[in-house]
Amino acid sequence: MELKKRNFGPSAGRFLVTLLTYLLFLPGDLCSQTPFFQGKTITMIQGREPGGSGDLRPRALVPFLRKYIPGNPTIVMEYMPGGGGRKAANHLYRSARPDGLTIGNPSVGMISLAVLGESGILYDLDKFFYLGSPYSTYHAVFLSRKQAGLSSIEKLRAASGIRIGAQSVGFVTYNEGRLFAYLLGLKEPKFIAAYSGPEIDPALMRGEVDARSNGADTVVRRNREWLEGALVDFHAIIETPKGDKHPQFSHLPELESFARSDRERKLVILQRAFRIAGTPFVLPPGTPKDRVEILQEAFRKTYKDPEFFHEYKKLTGDEPSPLLPKDHERAIREIPREPEVIELFKKLVGAGPLPAR
Amino acid sequence: METSLFDAAAQGFLNLMHFKVFLAMLLGVGIGTFTAVAPQGLGMPLVYAILLPVVIRWEPITGIALLIGASSVSAICAAYLPILFGIPGGSGSQATVLDGYPMGKRGEGRRALGASFMAGGMGCLIGTLTLALAIPATRPLIYLMGSPELFVVMLWGLSMVAVLAGRRPIKGLIAAVFGLLLATVGQQAQSGIMRFVFDQPYLLDGISMSIIALALFGIPSALDLALTKLGVEQQPVPLKGSLFDGVKDTLREWWLVVRCSFVGVWVGIVPGLGSQVVDWLAYGHAAQTCKGAGGSFGRGDVRGVIAPESANDAKDGGDLVTTLLLGFPQGVVTALFMVALLAWGYLPGPEMVKKNTDVIYSVIWLQGISGIIGTLIGFVLAAQLAKLAEVRYTFMVPIMFIFILMGAFSVNRDPLDLLAVVAFGILGYFMRRFGYPRPAMILGLVLGDLMEKYLYRSVASYGFSWLGRPAVIVLLILAATSLVFTLRGRLKSKSESPSSLGGAMARSDDES
Repeated sequence: MELKKRNFGPSAGRFLVTLLTYLLFLPGDLCSQTPFFQGKTITMIQGREPGGSGDLRPRALVPFLRKYIPGNPTIVMEYMPGGGGRKAANHLYRSARPDGLTIGNPSVGMISLAVLGESGILYDLDKFFYLGSPYSTYHAVFLSRKQAGLSSIEKLRAASGIRIGAQSVGFVTYNEGRLFAYLLGLKEPKFIAAYSGPEIDPALMRGEVDARSNGADTVVRRNREWLEGALVDFHAIIETPKGDKHPQFSHLPELESFARSDRERKLVILQRAFRIAGTPFVLPPGTPKDRVEILQEAFRKTYKDPEFFHEYKKLTGDEPSPLLPKDHERAIREIPREPEVIELFKKLVGAGPLPAR
Repeated sequence: METSLFDAAAQGFLNLMHFKVFLAMLLGVGIGTFTAVAPQGLGMPLVYAILLPVVIRWEPITGIALLIGASSVSAICAAYLPILFGIPGGSGSQATVLDGYPMGKRGEGRRALGASFMAGGMGCLIGTLTLALAIPATRPLIYLMGSPELFVVMLWGLSMVAVLAGRRPIKGLIAAVFGLLLATVGQQAQSGIMRFVFDQPYLLDGISMSIIALALFGIPSALDLALTKLGVEQQPVPLKGSLFDGVKDTLREWWLVVRCSFVGVWVGIVPGLGSQVVDWLAYGHAAQTCKGAGGSFGRGDVRGVIAPESANDAKDGGDLVTTLLLGFPQGVVTALFMVALLAWGYLPGPEMVKKNTDVIYSVIWLQGISGIIGTLIGFVLAAQLAKLAEVRYTFMVPIMFIFILMGAFSVNRDPLDLLAVVAFGILGYFMRRFGYPRPAMILGLVLGDLMEKYLYRSVASYGFSWLGRPAVIVLLILAATSLVFTLRGRLKSKSESPSSLGGAMARSDDES
C-alpha cells in the first residue's frame, strides 16, 4: 500500500522550527513564573466510602483550597476505604507520587493505629507532611439510660456487669467507652460491640444495652428528646483539648480527674491526642519542600477564612475548630509514646476484660 | 430525626427532583429494556453485578434510580422473547410463552405485546402501592425488633437457600456456607481479631461484595456466551396486529390483573418462593378460574399472557417489602440491591424504616415512575425493540468483558481487585458448571456478616434467654413454617401439574 505524501508547505515547516527553537532555548526562570499548580489536577485520597459525613468535611475545604492554591488547580476526590484508614495511608506512604498533586485524608484512625502499632501499618507517621485538620475539639460523654437506675457515679460503680454498647473494637468511640469504664471504676462491665453508630441509640432505649459513650454534639443534635425528656443520665466527659468546656455539659466531671496515677492520666492524654489530630490532611513523604509550603499556606488561609466557617457548618452541621498545619505537626510529635502507656492503652482498648487498676 | 410518613413520602419524591437522578433512571430504564429484550443470556443479576461497582460511588439516590429503573422495567419488557421467538424469557416470564407464542404465530404479536405491557404496567403499580401501604402497616412492629428478632429474620432469609438451590439442596447448602465463610474474612467487629487476612492489607476489610457478585455472575455468563455461541438462531414471528387490542383486552380483564398482581405480591413477600414460580402460579390461577380456559389456554388465549405478566411485575413490589422493611433479600437481584444500600450506609430493615423512610419512598416513586415509562417505551418502540432481540453474541461478549473488568477496577482502583474478579469468576464458572447455585452463595455472603453481629449482640446482651422472647418465638415459627412449606412444595413438585405451586417449583430454574 502506498502512503500518500502530505505537503505541509514552507510556512508550516518554518512554524515548527521556530516553535522547537523557542521551547529549547526558553529561559528557565520564565517557566517558573507560572504557578506549578496552574492547570494541574490535585487528587485528594479519602480513606472512606463516598457520601458520609466524613466525605463532607474535605468537600467543604475544596472551593477554598482552589482559591488559595496559586494557579487554582482542579481538585478531585478519590475514595480508598479499608482497614480504618490503613489502606489509604499505606498507599500514600508507599505508592502515591510525592509531587504535591496527591493530598491524603485517610481517617481519624490513621494516627491511633500507627501509635498503637496495630497490624497492617506500612507507614511511618513522622514522615508525612501535615496540612492540619478542620476540627480539633471534641467532647465525649458517658451516659446511661434512665430506666437502668444508674443516676450517679456511685450507683454506676456499685452495679455489676453494666452492658455498654459500642461500635467495632478499635473504633474511637469504643475506645472512649472502655476508657470511661476503666477510670470510673465500673465493676465487670460488659462491652457489646458491633453496632453501627445510630443502632446503639435504639438499643439503649430498648434496654438491649445500659450505657454508651458518644460525642456531646452528636447527642445534642441527634437525641434532643433524650435531653428534653431526661431519658438518660450523663456521668462524665472527656474534653479535647483539655479545659474546653462544652456549653451543655460543663457541669460534668472531666475523666482525667478520676485518674489515680500519672500513668492513668496519660491514657486520657493519649486519647485526647488521637482526637485532637482530627481527620488529618497529609502529603506523602518526599514531596518537594516548596510545594509543601504552598499547600500548608493554602490550608492555613482556608482555616482562617470566615466564609469557610460558614460553608463548613452549612455542609457538615458542625462548628469547625481548625488545627493549623504547624500545630498539627506539633500535636503529632507530642503524642505520648512511652511503651508502658501504649501497652496499657492497647490492653484497655482490646476486646478482653479491662486490666486491673 | 424521624419524620411523618407523609413528609417522608414528599421528601422521597423531592429527592428525585434532580436532573441527574432523572437521567440515571432513564439510563436504568434503557439498560433494563435492553436486558429484557436481548436474548444472549443477560439477566438482571448480571446487569446489577456489572452496575454495582459503578453506582456505589455515586450519590445514593442517583444510584438507586439507575438500579430500580433497570429492574422495574426489565419485567415489563420481558415478553418479547416468549411472544416473538417462542423461547422463555427471564425467570418470571416463562409461562408467557404458552399463549404468547401461539398468538404471535397467529398474527396477533402486537396484541399479545400490548396486553403484556399493559398488564405489566398495572401489576407494577399494584406492587408499588402494596409496598407503599406496607410501611405504615409494619412500622409499629419494627419498633419492637431488637438484635434477637433481627437475627431470626436473617435466619428466615437464609432459609431462602432451600429455594435458590433448586433441586440440589446439598450443593445449595455448601454454596451458602461458603458465602458465610467468605463473610468472615477481615476484622471481626466484636473482637477486633483478623480472620483469614494472612497479613494482607487487601483483606483487612474482607473482599468487596460487589467484586464477588460481579465475578460470580459476570464472568460465567460472558464465558458461556463465548464458548457456546448462544444467541437467537430462529427467526421471529412477524409483528402483526394492534397493540391497543391488547390494551383493551387487559382493561376488560382488570379483575384478573388485580388477582394475579396480588399473587405476585404474595410470592414476593413470602420467603421461599421467588421469581421462578411467580408466572406459573399466576398462570395456574388463571387456568383454574377463567371461564373456558380449559379449551383455550395454551392455544393463544390473551388471558394466558395477562396473568403471568401482571404477577411478574407486581412481585418486584413484594420483593422490596422484605428487602427494605425487614432487611433480608428474596433473591439475587434484591441481594445485590441490598449490597448497594449497605455500601451507601443504609441498613435495610427496621433501621432504614426508622431513619431513612424518605429513601424508601424514593424507591417506591422510582419503581412506579419507571414502570410507567417502561410501559410507554414498550408501546412506542415495540417494533424497534423487536429488532434488538436479534443482537448477536459476537457483539455482546467483548462488551461484557470490558464492563466487568472496568467495573471491578473502578471499585477501589486496586489492581488486586482485578485478580479477585478473575479468581471468583473462574470459581463462578465452575460453580455453574457443576450445579452449585451462586445465588445461595451471594445470600450467605450478604446475610453472613449481619447474622453474626445480631447473634453476638443477642447472646452478649441477654445470654440464651433471648430465645424465649415472644417476638423471637413467633418469628421462628413463621420461618419454620415457610421452610417446611417450601420444602414440601419441592418434594411434591414432580407429581403435580405445572399450574400448581409444586409444579411451578418443579419448572423453576435454579438460576445457577
